[in-house]
Amino acid sequence: MHNKLTAAFALSLLAAPAYAQAPIHIGVPIGLSGANSVVAPSVVQAAELAVAEINAKGGVMGRPLALDVADDGSGAAGAQRAFDSLVFQKKVDVLISMETSAARNAGLPIVTRGKTPFIYTSSYEGHSCNRYMYVNAWVPEQQEAPVIDFFLKDKSAKTFFLIGSDYAFGRGMLSYAKQYIEAHGGKVVGDEYQPMDAGDWTAIISKVRAANPDALILSTAGGVPNVTLTKQYRAAGITALVGNLGVDEGTAKTMGQDATGIYISGSYYTSVDSPANKTFLDAMRAKFGSALLTPNDLSVPQYEAIYLYKAAVERAGGTAADGVVKALPEVSFDGPRGRIQMNTQRHAPLTMYLGQVEADGSVKILQTAKDVDPGEQCPNLK
Amino acid sequence: MSLLLDIVTTAAILYVVALGLLIVFGVMGIISFAHGAMLTVGGYAALLVTWAGWNPWVSLPAAAVAGLLAGAAMERTVLRPLYRRPLDAILATWGLGIVIGQVITLAFGRQVQFAQSPLSGAAVILGATYSQYRLLLVGVAVLLAGAIALVLHGTRLGLVTRAVIANENLAQSLGVNSARVRFASFSLGSALASLAGALVVPLSSVDPNMGVPWLVGAFMLVLLSGSSLVSMAAAAVVLGAAQVLVSTYLNAVLGGMTIAVLAAVILRVRPTGFARA
Repeated sequence: MHNKLTAAFALSLLAAPAYAQAPIHIGVPIGLSGANSVVAPSVVQAAELAVAEINAKGGVMGRPLALDVADDGSGAAGAQRAFDSLVFQKKVDVLISMETSAARNAGLPIVTRGKTPFIYTSSYEGHSCNRYMYVNAWVPEQQEAPVIDFFLKDKSAKTFFLIGSDYAFGRGMLSYAKQYIEAHGGKVVGDEYQPMDAGDWTAIISKVRAANPDALILSTAGGVPNVTLTKQYRAAGITALVGNLGVDEGTAKTMGQDATGIYISGSYYTSVDSPANKTFLDAMRAKFGSALLTPNDLSVPQYEAIYLYKAAVERAGGTAADGVVKALPEVSFDGPRGRIQMNTQRHAPLTMYLGQVEADGSVKILQTAKDVDPGEQCPNLK
Repeated sequence: MSLLLDIVTTAAILYVVALGLLIVFGVMGIISFAHGAMLTVGGYAALLVTWAGWNPWVSLPAAAVAGLLAGAAMERTVLRPLYRRPLDAILATWGLGIVIGQVITLAFGRQVQFAQSPLSGAAVILGATYSQYRLLLVGVAVLLAGAIALVLHGTRLGLVTRAVIANENLAQSLGVNSARVRFASFSLGSALASLAGALVVPLSSVDPNMGVPWLVGAFMLVLLSGSSLVSMAAAAVVLGAAQVLVSTYLNAVLGGMTIAVLAAVILRVRPTGFARA
């Protein structure tokens, strides 16, 4: 009996690097159901790859990483439960996650109470500040300027019409757009909002037709509103330039001909031509094979954030929250999106791409802007 | 001009979507909560037609057939034993709607899918550029209403159906097989719902919940119009116009609530709605 146990133990030693110490727990509260359920599985895959790679190379300071994934239902109520259980029951060392703005806002008080470092990996409407939170994805200042500048300068657009979904992200994105357009000599001839689940855009499309703008800027929730709006303005024969702030590469692909010609902007596309991105994509294909979900602008930051956390723990010499929070802006990681360092008021300068959707659904990168500054996000946070 | 077109086409879409529900409500006296799910079935029928690479027009008969079969099966297995218990029957349609939604989710996944549109682009009409497909739907609404009126007033089935609508017990005592009328009308109502689902695909997204947003408008329309095709046309125009006008002159968020609020107000002031107006 004793021999058998020893043999089993020895086998397990051979199978994986040996860890004398307890694992470091990474909590991932994420919308596996609800609005984010389409993209969330790809984010979990990216996290799994990062953890597997790090553990195969000896972990973090001799300790392996372990993922604790909790469904937050994409909303506030679910997020409270998920954060509560991760922070107070599982006592995770860090939270690293892509979430809706509603879920993030509901989770932040729990983060503060639990004094748990939190890396938020989703692009969002900006200006969310917490002592324990860092963000490595884009904010409006970084994402919208390339599209609007392109319309104003390269396409000589003068009048803009803004359409969005009525929630924090939609409103936040478009109020920034309005301010930016007006500050740069453009004119906003209309802005309209619909509830998040709305599918009938009849009246708004008629208003667009009456206003006859040079360009449309759309910022709706993903899924139904995005799809219905695109289909319906196409059918109405509207030919203005279209910048869609709420569409990702995957959705553009499935939309087919309706998406052709629209302009999108982001910090990651699979077509980014860099050795780091190639290595990342190859590793994803090797790990997940036919089950691979296309990596995207929400899943890649998740991958990079785990490496940033690793670097911060090593710099701080441990997982204690205060040390990690202090070290996070000081470390950087060279990932698929280039060098990422969250050193600008808790946010990260990012290389941004302006793309146009081609007839076959692929995204042609038209412009690249290096290290776009996130601007004044949290000036009052020390 | 485009305001007028918005109103007419919105009314037509409402009418097409509510037609199946009206038939079921008229004959059986129950609101079918499975109506939204039957719309979804039509949407997925259109998706399958796209996947098969067939002409998108084929999706219309395909959806109608799928709805007919599903409706017939539901009537036979679940609803027929519940005819003496209308409240339970309504609850059962709700359950059936959930089951259909889950089966679709299991088979096709949760995500938004894309079916081909049979007609795209805009046409110039009365000096305004307007979506061809929406204009087409006006014709479809008139055609469907005409066809159903013809069946109701020109055939034997229509005659007995009207007899059942007017007074089911009396019709039964005169030898009408009301169970068969119920079977036929639930199947037909389901077929119309699925057909409507395929018809709205070019305006809507295809996902397991695609029927839900249409359900409220359809309910309200049927509540206001009882069981008459003509009064439902009036209700569709009034509610459609209200929604478009509020969305245009106030804002779209209020516009989305207009139909439900206005319908409640009308029913409060005039409980019969547009029926026998």
